[in-house]
Amino acid sequence: MLAAAGLALALGHAILQLPQAAVSLPTQVAGNMGQSGVEHPVTAVLLNFRGYDTLLEVAVLLLAFFGVMALSQTQSMCPAEPAHALLQALARLLAPLMVLVAGYLLWIGAYAPGGAFQAGAVLAAAGVMLRLAGLLPAWAQPGRLLRTGLVAGLLVFVVVALIALGQGVLLQYPSSAAGTLILLIETGLALSIGLTLSGLYLCSMETRA
Amino acid sequence: MSSFFDPLPWLVMLPLVWGTIAFMLGAGRGARLAIVAIALQLLLALKLAGQMLEGGARSYAVGGWGAPLGIDLAADGLAAAMMLLTQAVALPLAVYARGYFAARPAGSALFWPITGYLLAALNALFLSADLFNIYVTLELLGLAAVGLVAIAGGKQPLAAAMRYLLATLLGSGAYLLGVALIYGAYGSVSLEVLHPLVAAEAPLAVMLAAVLMLLGLLLKTALFPFHFWLPPAHGGAPAPVSALLSALVVKASFYLVVRLWLELFAPLATPAAAQLIGLLGAAAILWGSWHALTQTRLKMLVAYSTVAQIGYLFLLFPLATPETAASAFQGGVMQAMAHGLAKAAMFAAAGSMIVATGRDDISHLGGVGVQLPLTLFTFGMAGVTLMGLPPSAGFSAKWLLLMAAVESGQWWWVMLMIGGGLLSAAYVFKVLRRAFLPVAEGDHVTPVPRVLEWSAFALALAAVVLGLYGEPLLQLLMVGRMA
Repeated sequence: MLAAAGLALALGHAILQLPQAAVSLPTQVAGNMGQSGVEHPVTAVLLNFRGYDTLLEVAVLLLAFFGVMALSQTQSMCPAEPAHALLQALARLLAPLMVLVAGYLLWIGAYAPGGAFQAGAVLAAAGVMLRLAGLLPAWAQPGRLLRTGLVAGLLVFVVVALIALGQGVLLQYPSSAAGTLILLIETGLALSIGLTLSGLYLCSMETRA
Repeated sequence: MSSFFDPLPWLVMLPLVWGTIAFMLGAGRGARLAIVAIALQLLLALKLAGQMLEGGARSYAVGGWGAPLGIDLAADGLAAAMMLLTQAVALPLAVYARGYFAARPAGSALFWPITGYLLAALNALFLSADLFNIYVTLELLGLAAVGLVAIAGGKQPLAAAMRYLLATLLGSGAYLLGVALIYGAYGSVSLEVLHPLVAAEAPLAVMLAAVLMLLGLLLKTALFPFHFWLPPAHGGAPAPVSALLSALVVKASFYLVVRLWLELFAPLATPAAAQLIGLLGAAAILWGSWHALTQTRLKMLVAYSTVAQIGYLFLLFPLATPETAASAFQGGVMQAMAHGLAKAAMFAAAGSMIVATGRDDISHLGGVGVQLPLTLFTFGMAGVTLMGLPPSAGFSAKWLLLMAAVESGQWWWVMLMIGGGLLSAAYVFKVLRRAFLPVAEGDHVTPVPRVLEWSAFALALAAVVLGLYGEPLLQLLMVGRMA
């Protein structure tokens, strides 16, 4: 407790007397937006200027899922339990809408707040909702198709990175194609992030029950 | 240099790709793919080291932006040496793991994908020249290591994995807090940009950042008194996992401590702080060796020996006075290499003995000396490296450190190193003595697949060969470093 309070005090004190930073990254980001292929600075940083970080982060997400998979005890698909008819009807109505919202978030990411992670989160929510309504089975050992879907985003990202390497430098998109390539990567990522995040839930259901 | 076959980006991308493919192939698959790919990685690391011996240190702007807008990778002699160690340890261990999981399938389902990501994380960490990117690689490494501890299932490994997860997350959290403070103070996270900016008269935020990042990394390296999570995690995992974790994963955070202490935060480091961290190292040597001596389980003994050997690594800091900086640095890194190879060999040999006797118990090792002479020889040879006897790399490391201690007039570290060597001899002989006894009544020792014995032997042999022919490595270490 004392150590935590001391750290908080020291942090507060240090932050109050922060000097003027020597480097201004926001200016540099603004100056290079023209070559980034997108119009929203957050997407430009995540997918282009610091795309390498994002590439590794996608692997972190997959690793978290591997960890949950290692912990889940069940061997095969667990059939869905029937839920209330009203809940099922509502879920059937909402699921396509959520996919539509995910697609919108993915597209708008180039111009406004949005992108693969937000779209993936909405897809994952749809997956969890369908599971709760008893319309989707839980899976502890995903089949080949599901496994491919889980890693598709990372694979697309890696392939684009390596094609760029063939042209000269890892992850250096040609300026004219940057927008298209970023959309391609984000589409793959949205799908895989959606599957991974819902997998964290669907996969751990059995150990919890 | 920018070409498709540049080893630098491939050292990160190749393990990421084969790990992903191994996952797509399905549970337990991908062993052969992994072995071929790691052999390729070893060639890439050798090629990179060769390029650097001729052309000097390298830097690589990912995405072509360049720091501070983009992320830079950088390879100097230290990074190249650590990557050589990583692939050189991983290749025999992959061969070993394939045989081991054929005999004991528990935990094999996700071993290959997670190991691929672990190796990608290690190479990415060694190459990174960006404080935030280093944080991402630390997360990747930490989650992979925790995942590997958890794959065996069962109550005890799970508890160990949970404790490890909390320790490693706390460590990354402290590190990230430090990165945020640095970014607040200077507006960049690129090591190259930050290096000229950090001065002895740094603002309070930077001092605080240095302390937080250091503490976080010490927790991840399991330096005494932050070692509490290590023995259950390393001692409870399947043998190939224990070997990977003890040989490589703790070295990664040690590598970052060296980088930050000797480079970025060098203007802030005081001799008193160096002595303090050396004292923690001394405590680790004594505490770890003592606990290794009192263990009844073989793998726990080897795990506590790791706690002790980590202590030697940190003698680098008090010994690196301005006159002895080069030999202390070379000795500390040589110790990391020697321990990496020898500890991987020791855990692999211990795993074979456990497979042969069917239990993890030192008092039931009787008969191993007759049935598995090569494995016992491997264990002894790895022990020679840990004790620091010639002609092993452990001897070269201790010799360099002793020279630094004598030249800088710090005789107390000399006594510590000699005493520590005697303690390691004591716990190694404790195992050897038992193994030479005849089989006890009711016990039985079954033979193990040849591949388990020979892959472990290759690791122990590498530690000795490195001691005999260490000169090119010492030369490589000084690439990109002001002597």
